[in-house]
Amino acid sequence: MSGLIRFLRTQQPTLTQTDWQIWQPQDNEANVPAGKHIIPFQYWLTHRNNQQLLERAVAGEIGMWFAATDDVIDHKQLIHAGQKLWPMVAVHFPIFRDGRGYSTAALLRERLAWTGPVWAIGDVLIDQLDQLARVGFDHFVLRADQDRELGLRKFEQFSVRMQDSWRYPRTLNSIHQAEALTA
Amino acid sequence: MYRYDEIDQSLVQERSAQFAEQVVRRLKHQLSEDEFKPLRLQNGLYLQRHAYMLRVAIPYGMLSSAQLRTLAKIAKYYDRGYGHFTTRQNIQFNWIDLEEAPLILEELAAVQMHAIQTSGNCIRNITSDPFAGVAADEYIDPRPICELLRQWSTLHPEFAFLPRKFKIAVNSAVEDRTVLLCHDVGIELKRSDQGVLLANIYAGGGMGRTPMLSELIKTDVPWQDLPAYLTALLRVYNRHGRRDNIYKARIKILVKALGVNEFAKQVEEEWAHTQTTYAAWTDADWQRVAQHFTKPPYKKLPALSQEQLIQELQPNERVGFVRWFERNVREHQVVGYSSVVLSLKPHGTQAPGDATAEQMNAIAELADRYSFGELRVTHEQNLVLADVESTQLVALWQEAKRLGLALSNIGLLTDIIACPGGDFCSLANAKSIPIAKAIQERFDHLDYLHDVGDVSINISGCINSCGHHHVGNIGILGVDKDGEEWFQVTLGGAQGHEAAIGKVIGRAFLAEEIPAVIDRLIKTYVNERYDGERFIQTVWRLGLEPFKQAAYAHDAKAEKEGVA
Ligand code: HEM
Ligand code: SF4
Repeated sequence: MSGLIRFLRTQQPTLTQTDWQIWQPQDNEANVPAGKHIIPFQYWLTHRNNQQLLERAVAGEIGMWFAATDDVIDHKQLIHAGQKLWPMVAVHFPIFRDGRGYSTAALLRERLAWTGPVWAIGDVLIDQLDQLARVGFDHFVLRADQDRELGLRKFEQFSVRMQDSWRYPRTLNSIHQAEALTA
Repeated sequence: MYRYDEIDQSLVQERSAQFAEQVVRRLKHQLSEDEFKPLRLQNGLYLQRHAYMLRVAIPYGMLSSAQLRTLAKIAKYYDRGYGHFTTRQNIQFNWIDLEEAPLILEELAAVQMHAIQTSGNCIRNITSDPFAGVAADEYIDPRPICELLRQWSTLHPEFAFLPRKFKIAVNSAVEDRTVLLCHDVGIELKRSDQGVLLANIYAGGGMGRTPMLSELIKTDVPWQDLPAYLTALLRVYNRHGRRDNIYKARIKILVKALGVNEFAKQVEEEWAHTQTTYAAWTDADWQRVAQHFTKPPYKKLPALSQEQLIQELQPNERVGFVRWFERNVREHQVVGYSSVVLSLKPHGTQAPGDATAEQMNAIAELADRYSFGELRVTHEQNLVLADVESTQLVALWQEAKRLGLALSNIGLLTDIIACPGGDFCSLANAKSIPIAKAIQERFDHLDYLHDVGDVSINISGCINSCGHHHVGNIGILGVDKDGEEWFQVTLGGAQGHEAAIGKVIGRAFLAEEIPAVIDRLIKTYVNERYDGERFIQTVWRLGLEPFKQAAYAHDAKAEKEGVA
């Protein structure tokens, strides 16, 4: 898959390649094809006792993607268990202006203590990259038509931030910072 | 007044650069209109009937004279010479070229202003009491909290794509001048007996198609916890608010569907987590911001009565001054000072809330000379000079009169709130501005207006309710019937603590009928009122029936059709 930006919390954003593929079953019974696949969490919910699927997960070949409608809090236990099983999770944006995925990512990081990669997939456009990066995403599968080079630069448009987020604490001015340190 | 530090300043400049780059991509068709739309809306840029409209934020209504001069300049060079102050303490320019929008944002950034999140499905401009810091009935000055909230909400990464727009108001006085209960979230600040600053949180209010008043969901949130609490609240809304139907997407629908208690419970649960994740505001935060809202260098002045003031005037001027003093001048916290409302509602000559570039420059001058170079925008679309020495009131009145800003109609029948309606807005069913004008022309007699007393008339050109018609004592709503403009009248609405949503009185009227209808409603009140009773009190006491009968009394059309 091309058009992937990797931007780990402590590193610089880079364009990269991946052998992960996003999978959407055509019908409910389909089996996950061979290779590394990011599968719908709903599929996992119904097929997680399937021995073959479990083995492939153990082999590190299965990641999860959450739909905008998936409630990660309702599945806290499963996702905790998934920490040991899934190399990555993804959050799907059906349309770029559906903001539910931002809260999903924030919850994964804050409430579910997910420390592995969180990918943004679906209708991912370069103008949303900075916001996505701040709430907890660290991989971005851009929509095919997006200008990837420009996308890379979209993380640098702001040197200051007004809120705490997963990636950065809010920016403090120098006086404020000194006070915060001595407090 | 708040002055940007290097962080605020970098942010608005970087934002304006970001938008300039997006506009270039749009003009080169590298961004589709569909993708550009939310980006421009989050920068206050609407595509309207005739042109782009730019809505500039005036956070909690505070404006410096330098900022107002910049607004005047924008009106003059980038628009057609005027701007339109809105019910949400913003200003709108109706004739903007897309290509020029980035230049305007740069001009704004240079005077510490922006258009960030004045539109779009995000946290909008924070509104508050236009008399904050000077009102005699204030518990505490809400502006430091408003400013901290402005900063916190600005480009908030998690809440840029909410199900729908999100409006927050902050009040901290005995009287509510913010229409607190009509907001998605209303924050009421107070001090505990121990002097601790606490917030009560109301949620689920809003106008539009389904008007609702908000309900109390939480008391006594320590001010330091507001970011964590609001994050929790917005997170619940962002995740569970409806996105399938734009008319059901506001938080009010979610609060209603879940029930207030369940909604409050979910927020509480989430808050337990956000509290541990997001740093609370600190005393350093408070001081950094609050130092900008200290009292100006007030002089020690004697209290002055109206009688003393009118001694300076020629006998033939006295009645006019007294009227103005009664309606447009407010009591101040500091002896010898007053707050003055400049009326942007001259009778029948311009749209409510409109000011020309020349007026803006002149008002900036007044602010410099009479009020420490600062002013405020009110929800009723007027402007306030908050700190006027009472000894200067006569001089100010005379100057304001010359500028057409001294009409003594604050709170009266002609102090009409109106949306831009069909003259500018592409969503309108009907025109609002000509209705406002027609009413003002009909009720041009100041003695009569003063005798009638407090009445609010709010006009919206469509069900979106930008003019807040639901909470006008008399509400007028433009409706479309077979391509014709009609106007539905509601009665019984009110703002403030007694906020109420008006009821429709019956079939809609034609534009030309409206002034007479208003006239008959008012006459009914004048005939029926008890001594000292306000219009709205009489309506509430008597119910709609007598007013309804009066409104349709001379309705030839209805009589003929047998529906009177
Ligand atoms: C011409 C440009 C304008 C457009 C396109 C516009 C658009 C809208 C829309 C779509 C809504 C509906 C919100 C909903 O569904 O809840 C709305 C509501 C509103 N607008 Fe406007 N508007 C415009 C101008 C104004 C002006 C000039 C004002 C102030 C005078 C204003 C203040 C408001 C307010 C207070 C509401 C009520 C929303 C609430 O609090 O529930 N708007 N507007
Ligand atoms: S109420 Fe309707 S007509 Fe008036 S400004 Fe709002 S959207 Fe436009």
